[in-house]
Amino acid sequence: MRRMMAKKGSDRMVVVSMQAVVALLCVVAAYIEICDAAAVVDVYRMIQYDFQGTPFGSRRAVVNHHASSGLSVPGSDLSRTIVILPIDKVNVTLLNEYLQSRKMLGGLLLILPRNFENGGKSSGESDSEDSDGDQPADVAALEQWLIHNNIPYPVYFAYSDERIDSVLKDVQLNDAAGRPATASTGGYKLVVPVSDAKKVPSASYTNIQGWLWGLKGDGDIAGLPTIAIVASYDTFGAAPALAVGSDSNGSGVVALLELARLFSRLYANSKTRAPYNLLFGLTSGGPFNYNGTARWLRGFDQRVRENIDYALCLNSIGDADNLRMHVSKPPENPFIKQIYDNIADVARDVGVTVEIKHKKINISNSRVAWEHEQFSRHRITAATLSGLETAPSFLDRVGGIADRRYSANDTVVARNIKIVAESLAKHIYGLEGKNIEVFADGSSLAVSPPYVKLWLDLLSRTPRVAPFLGKNAPIIAAIQKELAVHTKDVSLQHDNLDGTFLFYDTIKAQLSIYQVASVTFDLFIMLAVGSYLGILFLVLVITTKGFDDLVGAFRRPPSRKLKGN
Amino acid sequence: MTLFHFFNCAALTFGPHAVYYQATPLSEYDTVGSCIRAALVYLGTTLIKLVCLATFLHGTESEGFDFTQEILKALIGFLDVAGLYFALTQLTYRNISQTHKFQAIGLGWAFADSLVHRLAPLWVGARGLEFTWDYLLKGLESNANLVFTVCLAALGSLMWLRKNKPATLVPIIYASAGLVATMPSITSYLRKGLHWDFSKVVGFELAASLAMAFVTWRLFSACQRPS
Repeated sequence: MRRMMAKKGSDRMVVVSMQAVVALLCVVAAYIEICDAAAVVDVYRMIQYDFQGTPFGSRRAVVNHHASSGLSVPGSDLSRTIVILPIDKVNVTLLNEYLQSRKMLGGLLLILPRNFENGGKSSGESDSEDSDGDQPADVAALEQWLIHNNIPYPVYFAYSDERIDSVLKDVQLNDAAGRPATASTGGYKLVVPVSDAKKVPSASYTNIQGWLWGLKGDGDIAGLPTIAIVASYDTFGAAPALAVGSDSNGSGVVALLELARLFSRLYANSKTRAPYNLLFGLTSGGPFNYNGTARWLRGFDQRVRENIDYALCLNSIGDADNLRMHVSKPPENPFIKQIYDNIADVARDVGVTVEIKHKKINISNSRVAWEHEQFSRHRITAATLSGLETAPSFLDRVGGIADRRYSANDTVVARNIKIVAESLAKHIYGLEGKNIEVFADGSSLAVSPPYVKLWLDLLSRTPRVAPFLGKNAPIIAAIQKELAVHTKDVSLQHDNLDGTFLFYDTIKAQLSIYQVASVTFDLFIMLAVGSYLGILFLVLVITTKGFDDLVGAFRRPPSRKLKGN
Repeated sequence: MTLFHFFNCAALTFGPHAVYYQATPLSEYDTVGSCIRAALVYLGTTLIKLVCLATFLHGTESEGFDFTQEILKALIGFLDVAGLYFALTQLTYRNISQTHKFQAIGLGWAFADSLVHRLAPLWVGARGLEFTWDYLLKGLESNANLVFTVCLAALGSLMWLRKNKPATLVPIIYASAGLVATMPSITSYLRKGLHWDFSKVVGFELAASLAMAFVTWRLFSACQRPS
């Protein structure tokens, strides 16, 4: 453009248009996105939430700091440093001490190992001697610490890859050599260019339900007793974008979908339709005291609610060898006893023991540890079938970052589905005590391992933290569609989480890693360039005008006068 | 801090031109006008070169060194010589000695070249957080380029303006001029054909520019003597 201008006519025109071009260039220059980082990696921000008005989680999002490899690197100003830690090397006690002593940290970048999806176990080689088995527990402990503290600095998670590994290695070497990265020495600089996190305006959640209507007698189908199969499908974890919750409660969701599929085949034929309605409910808000379950139950017609014979909640049934049935009514209660005997009988046949665990509800306490407690509060007989031995504490075992695909075992899930399906069938067809296998392996009604695997895979890829899912999340649509294939009258119920929880956005970002020069280096370059230009000036003056003129150049005004005279 | 680096690189890239103007007698004879004319001629030449490149070269999607393409590029690069010829012989300047004329034209030419080719990348790149040596090296390259341009202008003025030069020197003058004019192709070959490091290429350019400056100086003073 400049060249075209230059060729054009009058000088005035040229000057004016040149000014315009320069102005344009300035505007363009100011808007050019500078992105020449050594590495750009996806990072997942830690959860930030308010619970009953108290702030929890990581309270900041913006990172623009030098990198360091530990909390105790001599000479580095940690308040202006982001510490990179591989997650299996994190010392929670140390972090806690640091936090309690109110010392500031520029940020924390936690590196998840490359084989994190496999739990560091089944990676094939035996290279994981320091991470065998106990690593997920450590991560879970770290996660609980992160979730239940108010952390005043940004915390990010990233998956390890070649670039991050090489950067970390460099940083460790520099730190070990006593050259921590600061403004005066240069080094690696980590930048996450996001604005500070904003509140998620309305944290919505979605309950999904579907019916299998029982055989009509004389009366209407709504009058039939109903058995509800319930599983909560959403998760909560230290990083919302990583909380896929394969075991808690992906396994329950898979089991529910497979049960819906199996019973839909029986209910498709009026000869095999039982005099029971089956209600399948996928509830949201599970981590938040089963908030969604409570709303879901409240949304039912009084008559429908009263017709619920019992509700069976499925929770974390993907890992444990033996099952527990958690109830809030005493185990001697005949209804409870019936459900328990039913399941335990079937389980015994496949070599699984089912233990009954009784935990009373404390109505005055807002904490709801199990989903069935919400049913019990509505005086509906209910039990939770789970692999967990005791009631988890608040926001624990709700599908955190350590709960990944490897934590749900396909065969265990399939086996548990079979136990539930068989016991349910015995109950609704009145086959108790008879040695009939309805869902025998190899028959057309057998539990389908590929189906289980497929859904576990999908759920293990999909973070499901309710406030960040939104109403139109693909996973909700997928579950709804799947349920609609097998059951009737599928409907969604949208609602907003109550105000005790408040969430903040920015759960994913991009981290740019720059290698920056230090101020000292820049000063040195300035001196070098300056002296180069100075020497050049001297040499040119001496060679072209001679040494006398050089001296004269420093006394120019008098020498000019002399010439003028 | 990175703006600091930008200023450092800019000083290295454009400083020598200013120093050259200030330190040599060019400033005393007020040759800014000649420099600007040369710069304008440069802009025109570059436009024609661009049109030619766009017409005769097909898009270089490959990074490799394509021989025929490079020959074509070198031929088009000779348009620079034509432009210099135009600036040296066709334009009229207020009475300015031949020695200063070629310097002014070479300086204006090199400055325009630096401005067009280096300012925008410098502004975009050197302000970034990531530190690379590239922009400092490009600044050094600009220095070499200044020397080359002034050499070419000097040799051009010998070829076209000086009538009574020793006949024995004529082929040497032409050979040197040809060498300087093909320098962009040579560096391009080093970079793409031999895959030299950028730092090595710049080092070569600096060494070559010094050598050419020496040769040109010898030739120029040899031609000066008889007159």
